[in-house]
Amino acid sequence: MSSDPSRLQNMGPKKAPKKGIFYGWYVIAALFFATFVAIGARQGFGVFVKTWEQDWGVTTATISIAAATGWLVNGFSQPFVGRLTDVYGGRRIVVWSLLVMAIATMGVATVTNIYGLIALYGFVISFASGGISPATTGVIIARWFEKKRGVAMAVLISGGSVGGMIVVPFLSYVLIEFGWQTAWLMIGGLALAFGVPLVLIVVRSSPADMGLEIDGEVSENTPETEIRVRPVGPKFAEKWKDALNSRPIWQLSVAYFVCGITTASIAVHFVRWANSEDISTGTAALAFGVLSGINACGVLAIGLLSDRWQRKNLLGAVYMVRGIAFISLFVLPGPIAIWAFAVIGGMSWLATVPLTASLTADVYGVRNLGTLFGFTNMAHQLGGAAAVMLFGWAFTAWGSYDIPFAIGAVTLLGAGLVSFSIREKQHSVRYVQVPDGAAVDPGRSTTDEA
Amino acid sequence: MANPVGPLLHHSEPIDPTLWEWLSTKINHVFGLSPGVVIAILGTFFVLFPIVVMIVAVRKRREMGR
Repeated sequence: MSSDPSRLQNMGPKKAPKKGIFYGWYVIAALFFATFVAIGARQGFGVFVKTWEQDWGVTTATISIAAATGWLVNGFSQPFVGRLTDVYGGRRIVVWSLLVMAIATMGVATVTNIYGLIALYGFVISFASGGISPATTGVIIARWFEKKRGVAMAVLISGGSVGGMIVVPFLSYVLIEFGWQTAWLMIGGLALAFGVPLVLIVVRSSPADMGLEIDGEVSENTPETEIRVRPVGPKFAEKWKDALNSRPIWQLSVAYFVCGITTASIAVHFVRWANSEDISTGTAALAFGVLSGINACGVLAIGLLSDRWQRKNLLGAVYMVRGIAFISLFVLPGPIAIWAFAVIGGMSWLATVPLTASLTADVYGVRNLGTLFGFTNMAHQLGGAAAVMLFGWAFTAWGSYDIPFAIGAVTLLGAGLVSFSIREKQHSVRYVQVPDGAAVDPGRSTTDEA
Repeated sequence: MANPVGPLLHHSEPIDPTLWEWLSTKINHVFGLSPGVVIAILGTFFVLFPIVVMIVAVRKRREMGR
């Protein structure tokens, strides 16, 4: 078998030149908007905490039970919606998820107490938004793109990141001008009036639904004589459970668990750490903004590189770079550390998402990708929830984040090593292709032990 | 003993209310726009984006004859 990806990509039906912009990019634009409003509905939560405290006469901790519930529900929903995506197609799941999320989001405007908030936000919205996560949108993209899978995933992820940065300020201004009920009505209304029709009209679960080929390739063969040969990787599994018996899914999940630990802990504890180092909230905010800006560029750059180089090496490097950023937090003096972290950490922040999603698709194929990437996403969310609590406990006990950050750095370096150890050239369809039907049962694979 | 889930319950996503308060002040200072204008600009973008994508996607499909 050849290990030259460029040669392997030339196998299969003879291709004619592409015409115009590939329709897959329109699909990305529509999913970008769906992600955009879903992120807005979830990330905007923090903006309303103070208002709810005043309106309902409750504490931050009481209100935030809904947020904590939502975090966990969203994590556990991922394999479930991923499985539904594999069975019913991504388009149907995204449309239904967006519809439920939109109605529930508008429903929050009618809530008058914490119980309603827990029910609607903690359960309904958080579960439904799991259906507009990479476990579903990533699957659709993986089915539309193969050669440019990395950059396509990166565009979707970075778009969602930028979208969150725009939607949240929008909600805040609506809150100031018209009140929190109007803010929730508006974001839910946007999703219902524009998001649902957009996905219905534009998105198709796979290029085959429109009679197209993956990557927009056009076969020169006539329909009568054409034998469509899609590349099949050695670990492409008929059943998702088979994949759980192989090593790559666990290597990716363990590393992604660490990703969850380190991103969630920083998201919640960054300002508190800055304050403990006598750095103002404003400087911390600015540093986090710099991190987000560098991140958007970093994700796109990593996406471009990942379509040329081995993805596992980039993934390992991303974890290592983030590990160095964490080391800077407890080695350097606070005022220098905050900027070192913003710049170094920003280069790696969300870059793990397109790499992990693409690598999962390359190794296991797209048939069960929703379930498998949902499983990996669940690991990410649970790691994040656990880390946020443990970092908080540690700070309460020791009055410093040095030990938690050191643990974060060690886990990141470990995640980097685990990622480097993935045998991409043995498992990925980019490097190894077998005849259709000859994929190795992952449970019986001997290459893992090689 | 402190509430063990206190840190988790503080806020689950990156947008901290205190942080946003500072950011909004800075945005106002830099751009000098009132909240109403910002809502109008961003709202227009949110409405136009999906409409434009729908139009160009439908035109593309007509071009492809599908």
